[in-house]
Amino acid sequence: MDPQLTSQIVPIEEIRQIEECLARLVEDTSGNYVLLLDKSGQVIASQGDANRQDITALGALIAGTFASSREVAKLLREKDFRSMFTQGVRDNIFLALVEDQWILCIIFNKGTHIGLVKVLTKKATDALAQVLERVRETHKAREDVLGSSFRTSMEDTIDLLFRD
Amino acid sequence: MALINVATREIHCKVVYYGPGMGGKTSNLQYIHTQVPKEAKGDLLSIATETERTLFFDFLPLDLGTVGPKDRKFQVRFHLYTVPGQVLYERTRTAVLNGADGVVFVADSQKHKMEENLKSLRELANNITKNLGKNFREFPIILQYNKRDLKNVATIEELDRYLNPPAMNLGWQRYPAVAYTGEGVLDTLKAISKLVISKL
Ligand SMILES: Nc1nc2c(ncn2[C@@H]2O[C@H](COP(=O)(O)OP(=O)(O)OP(=O)(O)O)[C@@H](O)[C@H]2O)c(=O)[nH]1
Ligand SMILES: [Mg+2]
Repeated sequence: MDPQLTSQIVPIEEIRQIEECLARLVEDTSGNYVLLLDKSGQVIASQGDANRQDITALGALIAGTFASSREVAKLLREKDFRSMFTQGVRDNIFLALVEDQWILCIIFNKGTHIGLVKVLTKKATDALAQVLERVRETHKAREDVLGSSFRTSMEDTIDLLFRD
Repeated sequence: MALINVATREIHCKVVYYGPGMGGKTSNLQYIHTQVPKEAKGDLLSIATETERTLFFDFLPLDLGTVGPKDRKFQVRFHLYTVPGQVLYERTRTAVLNGADGVVFVADSQKHKMEENLKSLRELANNITKNLGKNFREFPIILQYNKRDLKNVATIEELDRYLNPPAMNLGWQRYPAVAYTGEGVLDTLKAISKLVISKL
């Protein structure tokens, strides 16, 4: 992928596949909640526990945790931490990288064994890596979304929002 | 990297406030949080030390509204972050910068802070090049010269000479500010929003 590329477009079809993959993971692990994040902390899709209000903050915090673990890896001359497990009293969180772009996050409780979560998460990240591959190829479609009328309209909106 | 979700019709951009410790980054977000109408913002999340210095980051999600022609409207969301400015937290800054689409560099205008400003800006350049893998010269950056209310400040021209030298031809826009009263804060935000959008 072109490193100077500044945006990633996730088309409807790919979102559908991602949601399917996440839904399966929730079901097979009896997880409460599964999130797919961009490494910048933005939520791409989520499944499970439908009425979470805090999802935006959750995304920012989880991505921050992961990014800081990556810095720890550098200090330890470890190539990378591909996954992270956080154990709580009630809930556990398991995080895994999809290539270097996305983070898969699953929140599950005591009733589910971490071993199962790890195995199924691996399956899911492999599937998601293929979706990511296709997403990377779709930047051809960007002009459709980001044409000049979009930019003008965006500028107007920003002016409106910050008018004195 | 900005994320465009065609299914939910949302565009997400990440903007990071960078700069030396105590420069006023957190104050920028605090002011923005008081100014933006409720329906356009989320909670301000701050992970700070007991003395109110940023330990990890501040985070403020903003909703800039819907844009685009009628048949393809998109909801535009900006996520604002601050880094912890203290020297100790260099690696933390790298982590927070991950995936950023634009940076507001908050400089402290006080004369004796010039060296710190410059160090922080160099670190930023290095981070953008090495960790984001982007071209520093093309990366969206807005400068803010903060703390203009204090007596011992350098002039705007002096700050330019240090941080935005004409010889480098970076052409960054810069805004004088007093972050804790809000002066210049929204102008800065407006400028970085436009710049980021223009580079999507
Ligand atoms: N005089 C003056 N003080 C300011 C201004 N902006 C911020 N401050 C004060 O400077 C101090 C530090 O501000 P913060 O916003 O916490 O600085 P920061 O850049 O987030 O600092 P770190 O989190 O340590 O990196 C606070 O006491 C602010 O009230 C300004 O424009 N003028
Ligand atoms: Mg701060």
